[in-house]
Amino acid sequence: MEANGQVTTAGQLVKQRPRRQIRVKTWNRSTVVTRATLLILAGLTVYAFFSFDYKEIDFVQAMLATFANLKSMFLEPHLQRFTFGHALYQVLVTLGLAFLTTLFGAVIAVFFGLLAAENLSSKWVSSVVKGVVAFIRAVPTVLWVLIFAVAAGLGSVAAVIGMTFHSVSYLVKAYSESFEELDKGVIEALKASGAGWWQIIFQAVLPSSLTYMISWTFLRFEINFAVAVAMGAAAGAGGIGFDMFMASNFYLDIREIGAITYFILAVAILLEITAAKLKKRLT
Amino acid sequence: MTALLEVQSLSKQFLGSEGKALTDVNFSVSEGEFVSIIGPSGAGKSTLLRCINRMIDASSGEITFDDRNVTKLKKKELKMVRTKIGMIFQHYNLVDRLSVIENTLHGNLGKKSAIAGVLGLYSQEEKEQALRILSVLGLESLIYKRADQLSGGQKQRVGIARALIQNPRMLLCDEPIASLDPNSAKVIMDHLRDISTSMGITVLVNLHQVDVALKYSDKIIGINSGQVVFNGSPAAITKEDIQRIYGSEAEDLIFDLGGIHAS
Repeated sequence: MEANGQVTTAGQLVKQRPRRQIRVKTWNRSTVVTRATLLILAGLTVYAFFSFDYKEIDFVQAMLATFANLKSMFLEPHLQRFTFGHALYQVLVTLGLAFLTTLFGAVIAVFFGLLAAENLSSKWVSSVVKGVVAFIRAVPTVLWVLIFAVAAGLGSVAAVIGMTFHSVSYLVKAYSESFEELDKGVIEALKASGAGWWQIIFQAVLPSSLTYMISWTFLRFEINFAVAVAMGAAAGAGGIGFDMFMASNFYLDIREIGAITYFILAVAILLEITAAKLKKRLT
Repeated sequence: MTALLEVQSLSKQFLGSEGKALTDVNFSVSEGEFVSIIGPSGAGKSTLLRCINRMIDASSGEITFDDRNVTKLKKKELKMVRTKIGMIFQHYNLVDRLSVIENTLHGNLGKKSAIAGVLGLYSQEEKEQALRILSVLGLESLIYKRADQLSGGQKQRVGIARALIQNPRMLLCDEPIASLDPNSAKVIMDHLRDISTSMGITVLVNLHQVDVALKYSDKIIGINSGQVVFNGSPAAITKEDIQRIYGSEAEDLIFDLGGIHAS
């Protein structure tokens, strides 16, 4: 009986509510803009598929051919034009390019990062450095390499300079932001005891932000490895990227591309694992 | 007793703010005195303390420390004066990732050459002195612990050690016990009092706890909205003075003035 009584009261409560829909979202500017954007993008996608020039390709056949290519690439890889040892050496060359540019970039970026951190330099200097760095970062690495190739010629020199250039701009932003996160009280404390700028940098700022700096630098190293592969192909910087370029564009050997891809994948995974381990040990 | 610190008609107006943070502040502190500055939040206590070692530049007025006009000093001389003034903070302001002894030795950076400071090269005497100070403060078993592994009270004792290794003439303490539990707070205040009495170091403390200020100080300076409204010994303070400092009825405040004077 008691249970029955409760049910009726609950039913009465529901009846007392005015019967109108309750909206969870309100219509404000941001929801209108997001929805309009999504709608326009959806419309454009549909339109694009209708307006493609398909050149009377048989869709099913094309799909099957692609799968066949992928299958021979990844399931039947082989090394025909060079040995395993050579491939390993070329991967090391590419890693070397990534390491060199990251190292150069990191050393230069520490200095400019200090100048770009608002709490360590003046507001004026900080905004100038940040502005220049943002401009450099906005231009892709590949483009910088090609720009420097005008002076240095296509090859490893242009690749090193261009990649260093972009690494510096990337790391300056990363470093300066970790410097800015430092508790300003620590700087105040050392300043109050009469310590100078360089002493504060080396005794308080760098020890406090070292973990951030190392993890950012390693992230950039991973990026630089990927870029170094592309530079081998696009700018003739050597390394595994160049072999890949030759296998695909010159010998048209899909199976060799597959083998090289596995090499690069293995190194990338290795880097990832190292980075994770390093981070764990540092904190 | 000669005056170690003399503040004359000190005023401070922050850029872009209308009212003055400090208006015509005058007081003097003798060698070895223990002085508490009390007043409500935002009254200008921290600003006053930071004007003394010029972490903040005063707008007008003069500050004389050890017969030198601090407000007129050049960069190099200012650094020299700062090495003679230790500072202690509410949030300890230690470098979290470094050890207790490294943080303590930081107090010596101001006296070192840039290179030695950058590389963290300390002499044997400096290290011995650091150990001596740390053992006085009861931290000798923790010298290799990282600062972020310490409790609040321990951190503040490291803060005191860092200030003491400077061999300072004066300590400026900006609400040193505001983040501590009553037990740790008592330990810290006892150490500060002991430093003042046995080492003859002048101590200037910003405090929120009126009863603590009355118990430990030789002199109390009360500040309200940037002006000194009381300057005298703790024994001379009355309910009216407290009311002028805090702008409320003394009865409303959570402490017992009579009880303190009686004890």
